[in-house]
Amino acid sequence: MTEFPALTEDEFRKLCDFLYRRTGMVFNEPKRYYVERRVVERMLATSSASFTDYFKRLRADSAGEMERFVNAFTVNETYFNREDHQLKCLTSDLIPQRLRHKKPGELLRLWSVPCSTGEEPYSVALWLLENWPLVDDYEIEIVGSDIDTQVLEAARAGIYGKRALMRLPPSLIDKYFAQLDEQSWQIIAELRESVRFTQVNIVDEEQTRPHGRFDIIFCRNVLIYFDDAARRVAAENLYENLLPGGFICLGHAESMSRISALFDVARFEEAIVYQRPAYQGGSRGE
Amino acid sequence: MPLVRKTDKGKPRSEANPAEVLKALTQGTQDERWAAARAAAVIAGGVQALATALRTENDSRVREAMFTSLTRIGTPEAVSAILPLLREDDASLRTNALDALRTIPAAVREHLPVLLNDEDADVRILSCELVRGLPTEEATTLLGALLTREPEANVCSAAVDVLAEVGGPSVLPALDACAARFSETPFLRFALKIARDRILSQSSDIHD
Repeated sequence: MTEFPALTEDEFRKLCDFLYRRTGMVFNEPKRYYVERRVVERMLATSSASFTDYFKRLRADSAGEMERFVNAFTVNETYFNREDHQLKCLTSDLIPQRLRHKKPGELLRLWSVPCSTGEEPYSVALWLLENWPLVDDYEIEIVGSDIDTQVLEAARAGIYGKRALMRLPPSLIDKYFAQLDEQSWQIIAELRESVRFTQVNIVDEEQTRPHGRFDIIFCRNVLIYFDDAARRVAAENLYENLLPGGFICLGHAESMSRISALFDVARFEEAIVYQRPAYQGGSRGE
Repeated sequence: MPLVRKTDKGKPRSEANPAEVLKALTQGTQDERWAAARAAAVIAGGVQALATALRTENDSRVREAMFTSLTRIGTPEAVSAILPLLREDDASLRTNALDALRTIPAAVREHLPVLLNDEDADVRILSCELVRGLPTEEATTLLGALLTREPEANVCSAAVDVLAEVGGPSVLPALDACAARFSETPFLRFALKIARDRILSQSSDIHD
């Protein structure tokens, strides 16, 4: 696909350093092919004559190149009701615990980050509508966020293929999706309009903070892309985005305990999740 | 439908006033100290203030945020602010320092030869753990050299534990020499044998 020479060791290192500083994602020599392939795509797309030429464009964020570059590096494969044991835990344990601190009618905030093309936040919405009897008694806000602006556009459009819907029973597809053609279905407008999608880099406190505090955060399969230092920063950002006593659900292969001691482990029948302790800030020396 | 869409809930952090941040680090409430610990990563004088505040901070979460800010800063000055905490009497402070240093192996690397020769055996033990994140060749060289001179069995044991995971075959003579020196210390001889077997088996896997 390319006529460009491979990146030199120095170019590769500079690029990986840049990507790490801007996103927290770690790429090294074993991922060289993955990195080079994406850089070449962007060099072709921007008609850059050389890597030096492209890197200047990237650093200057010329014509929004930084955003396109980051988009090329994110992995966006997911499907509805992925890791559904956590959804079961959501309604059997997490929400009931959160409601002990809320009055009827009060707002319950849920965050899916990264949300990729929207399967996860929409799954949460569908799950609550179908499986939580108190769904009409509370206001529920669901936010989906991702660093990749292209996937956010796809999430807002809410159009999915068969593979994304494979874990949903046909009755739910009929109820909540409109079939566009043989291969694609669009989630109904009412649901699309009820989930808010935003861009966020979870290692950037200035981007996470404006999202406010949530009762429950789903942050699955993203921390694995960071090194230890960036994971700690992400953990602290997520901690700030949780209400005291709020929960965070990670991917099945991830452990917050290996990253940070900020959270308590909360074991439930369906899932092990992490909880921000419910203590309130006090005075010095308490 | 009960699902609602709201606008943003939070506000961006307003520009931190450095003097207020530095004051809050030691005099604020728990929440204020947490916020100051994070803000100190991006203000002038943050390293020194964090290093000072760490000595008196008694909340583990605020302390963790302080260490994370120092590793985010990541300058030689920031690393030098963490290193002395490896010799603190407070075990949790020592462990926090070790955990923080583990996240910045590239910045810690140049200090390891000195740390592994520290006069305090506890510092040498903790420093062995910092070698775990290095490439095999470098880890093997550093810990092989330590094994040839180390008089404390517990330090050798810490080094052997790391070598069993990351050591290369060039360390085998140092393992054997250590086993001969500590022939009267059964637990260490056992650990050395396990490490030797693992390194040999990994080495044969590579060459098969």
